[in-house]
Amino acid sequence: MILFFLTSGLFLGWSLGANDASNVFGSAVGAKMVSFRKAAIIASVFVILGAVIQGAGTSGTLGKLGAVNAIGGSFTVALAAAITVYVMTKFSLPVSTTQAIVGAIIGWNLFTGNSTDTSTLSKIVATWVTGPILGALFAIPLYILISRIKRRARIHMIQFESYIKTGLVVVGAFGAYSLGANNIANVMGVFVPAFDLSEMNLGILSLSSAQQLFLLGGLAIAAGILTYSKKVMETVGSNIVNLTAEVALVTVLAQSLVLFVFSSTSLSNLLVKIGLPPIPMVPVSSSQVIVGCVIGIGLYKGARNINFKILGEIAAGWVATPVIAGLTSFFSLFIVRNIFNIDVGRKISESVETVQTPERAFDISQVMKYIILVIIIIGIVISLYYYMLERKKNREFRKSEERFWKYIK
Amino acid sequence: MALFSRTTRQTIIKIDEFFDNIDLGILVFREGIRSYVKGDYESFHRHLSKVDALENNADKLQREIENEMITHSILPQHREEVTRLIDEMDEIMDGIKSSLHEFDIELPEIPESLFENIISLAETSANAAEELIPAARAYFRAPHTVREKLLKVYYFESETDKISFSIKKRVFHEMKELDLAHKAHLRYIVHHIENISDLAQAAADMLSIMAVKVIL
Repeated sequence: MILFFLTSGLFLGWSLGANDASNVFGSAVGAKMVSFRKAAIIASVFVILGAVIQGAGTSGTLGKLGAVNAIGGSFTVALAAAITVYVMTKFSLPVSTTQAIVGAIIGWNLFTGNSTDTSTLSKIVATWVTGPILGALFAIPLYILISRIKRRARIHMIQFESYIKTGLVVVGAFGAYSLGANNIANVMGVFVPAFDLSEMNLGILSLSSAQQLFLLGGLAIAAGILTYSKKVMETVGSNIVNLTAEVALVTVLAQSLVLFVFSSTSLSNLLVKIGLPPIPMVPVSSSQVIVGCVIGIGLYKGARNINFKILGEIAAGWVATPVIAGLTSFFSLFIVRNIFNIDVGRKISESVETVQTPERAFDISQVMKYIILVIIIIGIVISLYYYMLERKKNREFRKSEERFWKYIK
Repeated sequence: MALFSRTTRQTIIKIDEFFDNIDLGILVFREGIRSYVKGDYESFHRHLSKVDALENNADKLQREIENEMITHSILPQHREEVTRLIDEMDEIMDGIKSSLHEFDIELPEIPESLFENIISLAETSANAAEELIPAARAYFRAPHTVREKLLKVYYFESETDKISFSIKKRVFHEMKELDLAHKAHLRYIVHHIENISDLAQAAADMLSIMAVKVIL
């Protein structure tokens, strides 16, 4: 039953993987610079790493906004966000998982009578606006730098493209890591206060309760990438194929930096140490940041035909998505509590911190251990299989070439 | 990963080698025509077999470059254009080979008064093709310099046209002692030599557009 409650979050993770991986590897895969197989494997591995290692910061912020303290509540809030994302995508409206989950949490606050922390909310909303702007500010100097290097170094076009190709893989891995670190809060953030799992010891490292949830969420995102992102990546790639390879590299790097900045607690602590204000740990929309990056480069290159409609749609999404998600969440919570008679949470002062029994939590940790083991074994088998397949293909190709030239002679 | 594989470097070397081949082919063509006109048939045949070998090698390199570009996904956004450019340049090599073979098979009789004109025609036509090579090399390293380099190709192509017109005019208007078949044969030979510069111009047109696309 507990695992069933996680399904809404896992579904949200799956859809995030299917859609948002294209922001990281879409241009590289669409332009055929990186194969989908390679991109999907790298993105999956690094999304999981980012989620487990660095996912706590942004989840903490969502927790401050509203600590959903019952599993039924977490399930409903995540489901409401997922429904909002699905319906808005269906009607081709610009939507972001980040904004949907924030709206859904506020809906929970309203339903349970908890007050919404306005300072956290204003921090979150400010980040949505500054994210794309920061993306543009990162993208412009990076673009200037890379264009100057290209022009002055007189590198052979093929060599340069191979550097870019490698850069896209490295930056893509960094982007996937940042995406996992920043956006895992959207997927699993609402479950963190409601779950209390026993610490999992994997020999070389141990995972806390939140990290185990992030691992599950990361696996859901990876599943989304592996099963459904190919089409999205190819569409994104063909839509922005007129972007040159270096612009693609710069936009992905700038976007990854923005996501990283808003999810790195160590960076924030460092700023505090040197007397600067801390960076808010907030999940931001990768799609909106990438639009900011592209517009930034466009402005630098002197483009005059900026599509203000897209900017308007993004701004409208900042208001519309949380409102719709909040309403959906409020009514869903009402239905779940009154019709299905499931506890969806109480006012923080009255609430019992956790509703889990240690035995149940221990069970999930045990199951997770086996899941991790099975995934590692499957990963090794698949990698070996593809390696052998690749070798066989190369050998056959070489033989056919040799036969061809022998025949010509 | 492309950075760590040798394929990228090998492809660059092969493209450079391909251009070297074309460059050498043009040189041999110029010398071949000169030898034929001067009556040094031994040297002409040596040049002919050299052109055959160069053309074969160019074909092999062309195929290898195309294979590598496709199998290792090199320059995916410009691959089609680069392979077309290489194909156009290979056409020049084919033109050189077929032109020298025409001389070998048909043994055209060139009147002594046209010796210098034919040599000059071959020189200018070869110059047009020769000027294409640095422009094609520049496309890969400094695309913004391609168009200025191509100016020479257009200049030599128009010079070739002028020389060719003047030879044809002389043959048909002034050389009354030649019969019509001989005149037609000479015109055909002139057309063959002139064709090298036309092929260079076609490649230059393509290269010029390619360079603009890369710069923008």
